[in-house]
Amino acid sequence: MMPELLDVRNLSVRFPVGRKGTGWGQTSYLTAVDDISFTVRKGETLAIVGESGSGKTTAALAIAQLVAGETSGEVVLDGQDIMPAGRDQLRAMRRKVQVIFQDPYSSLNPRKRAEEIVREPLDNLTNKPAREKREIVDRLFQAVGLRPEQKRLFPHQFSGGQRQRIGIARALSTQPEVIICDEPVSALDVAVQAQILNLLRRLQSEFGLTYIFISHDLGVVQHMCDSVAVMYMGKIVEHADRLALFNNPQHPYTAALLSAVPSIDPTLRDHSKRILIPGDPPDPLNLPAGCRFVSRCPVAQLHCRELVPELTGNGTEHLTACHLVDADLVSPMQAVREAE
Amino acid sequence: MEPLLKVENLRIELKTRAGVAPVIDDLSFELGQGESISFVGESGCGKSMTALAIMGLLPEGIGRVASGRILFGGEDLTAASDRRLRDIRGNEISMIFQEPMTSLNPVYTVGEQIAEVLRAHQGLGQRAAWTMAAELLDAVRIPNPGRRIDDYPFQMSGGQRQRVMIAIALACKPKILIADEPTTALDVTVQAQIFDLLRDLRAQTGTSIIMITHDMGAVAEMAERMIVMYAGRKVEEGPVADVIAHARHPYTHGLISCVPHIVANLTEEREELTEVPGIVPGLGEFGQDMCLFSARCPRVTEKCRSARPPEAMLGGSQVSACWHAEEV
Ligand SMILES: Nc1ncnc2c1ncn2[C@@H]1O[C@H](COP(=O)(O)OP(=O)(O)OP(=O)(O)O)[C@@H](O)[C@H]1O
Ligand SMILES: Nc1ncnc2c1ncn2[C@@H]1O[C@H](COP(=O)(O)OP(=O)(O)OP(=O)(O)O)[C@@H](O)[C@H]1O
Ligand code: SF4
Ligand code: SF4
Ligand SMILES: [Mg+2]
Ligand SMILES: [Mg+2]
Repeated sequence: MMPELLDVRNLSVRFPVGRKGTGWGQTSYLTAVDDISFTVRKGETLAIVGESGSGKTTAALAIAQLVAGETSGEVVLDGQDIMPAGRDQLRAMRRKVQVIFQDPYSSLNPRKRAEEIVREPLDNLTNKPAREKREIVDRLFQAVGLRPEQKRLFPHQFSGGQRQRIGIARALSTQPEVIICDEPVSALDVAVQAQILNLLRRLQSEFGLTYIFISHDLGVVQHMCDSVAVMYMGKIVEHADRLALFNNPQHPYTAALLSAVPSIDPTLRDHSKRILIPGDPPDPLNLPAGCRFVSRCPVAQLHCRELVPELTGNGTEHLTACHLVDADLVSPMQAVREAE
Repeated sequence: MEPLLKVENLRIELKTRAGVAPVIDDLSFELGQGESISFVGESGCGKSMTALAIMGLLPEGIGRVASGRILFGGEDLTAASDRRLRDIRGNEISMIFQEPMTSLNPVYTVGEQIAEVLRAHQGLGQRAAWTMAAELLDAVRIPNPGRRIDDYPFQMSGGQRQRVMIAIALACKPKILIADEPTTALDVTVQAQIFDLLRDLRAQTGTSIIMITHDMGAVAEMAERMIVMYAGRKVEEGPVADVIAHARHPYTHGLISCVPHIVANLTEEREELTEVPGIVPGLGEFGQDMCLFSARCPRVTEKCRSARPPEAMLGGSQVSACWHAEEV
């Protein structure tokens, strides 16, 4: 098994929010990411999934120090803490951690030519001579499947999928170790999506890239990931390897999430009884004291209201934050399924 | 029996800077009473335009029905007056749009907006409309409807707003409910609730549903029959299970096989996704006398580029507009 490349410890991000009705001089905070820890192995893909607003983007961008909020915790890349970086360290870190954004329309500067966009990180973060940069850009255009004559075009002259290729080439330019992909194919049509997903996997094995891959499409996640972290209201509630998570989800939220995916596979539609979780997530400014999923959890117990469940594997590699999960790894939802 | 809705050889033209283009090009289909059908296809294939045509809501000054008929209970909607269309929109055919935030009015409470529809179209009085509005919120499973009825749209989550839209669409007990990507902006757990709701309501009221989506999984969950659109044309139609099991048009086949579908028992195995090269043609290329998928099709022959393929019936219930459908 590959060694750990990225080790995130006790990462928290909070945003100051002005709230009507709060007194003068008082700031309240929205804790978007609350004390999460996880590791990613070199050359692998960690997928982050979860409800809208659960903190996926904030957590991933905090690793690259690209969030506006107050960040605390440690991010260790290849044995080095990259968190309290000074200006020089920040440049070095940016070379190693790059981002591909969701929206291929707004994430590219409309007034720059494709080659300038791809070269930008090289200009900003390295001192390479112009010729070498030109060669790198040429190679990248080829690697992501763009034609050399397209280098001179502006973003609006490309289709959505081609723009996403430009974004990928840009992210690759500094030979990063980690690429954060935040919903990289969500804005694309399915046919184009397949092209980009195949490309990302090819580039991963070619360059030994490590991905943090955020997506709300669980089919895409299943295809792309090696392990999955499931987030709910700023917390990781489950983290396990691909097969373990999809074939034996432990946390009630994960089970509900997987059961909700509409499927063309009739066996999946018939056999998996849908677990409907009523209601909405709690107000992030007014979180419950115990388990954050308690208001929607079909198997909640009384003590779940007071006691925060810790993320633990109980001695296994399969980490879950739920009072009802133990080392046997029998999903607490099993009882619900059988009862129906 | 006459189908509830019968679209015959519909051609919708859009005026663009480059000229007039057939955004819907000779489309025919039927929708039975209580039936649920789905339109699928990539972005820009004319799915929303089909819905807007049925609603009589084509973009003014730009889009028009060039030929064909839309028969609703025998009445041709393409020849109906604006007044009659307004009447039908309120009472018999309702639509849920993709973005619930923009289609609700931000300055009125959700209760006021539902009650307004009930007063205008059902002729209910103030009190009755209010009571009924609360009942509808309850029917779409908004918790605590008596209190939430006074909420403004911004006070609700995306899923709740979409449920309010459904409540408004259902306020007049429509015969047809058109849902254009009703869950695209929502979490899957919320999507599952909305689908569940739509299925229940259909079972209770016998409303026919036309759902527009790009998600094959959603089609499989929600519809009995599906119509695949490409560049303004129907390329395949058939019972959902049959089409998924054996698509008879190369485009449909590509649409299904390029998606990494979630599977029940995951294994270590991971194959490359099938790619459909290229992208959907722009409006300017619609309408040519050829197969518009030919630039992307793995089975293309000379014939495909020289004439538009006719719709062929295969196996009794599946229709495919492909010169080589027999071999697919
Ligand atoms: N700049 C900001 N200022 C204040 N609050 C923010 C800011 N960015 C994010 N948040 C809040 O932090 C929480 C987490 O947001 P985040 O964007 O990380 O969620 P997400 O899981 O990526 O959701 P989505 O699936 O919708 O992209 C949300 O409650 C959001 O409103
Ligand atoms: N108001 C308009 N003016 C000009 N062209 C339009 C207008 N509305 C739509 N079009 C064009 O008509 C074609 C069909 O559009 P339509 O909205 O029906 O696509 P769709 O299949 O619903 O796509 P999506 O999945 O993106 O919603 C597209 O090429 C689109 O650019
Ligand atoms: S800790 Fe309790 S409320 Fe939370 S997921 Fe587990 S059973 Fe449900
Ligand atoms: S008509 Fe020809 S190009 Fe068109 S889908 Fe059939 S085989 Fe492909
Ligand atoms: Mg996000
Ligand atoms: Mg549309």
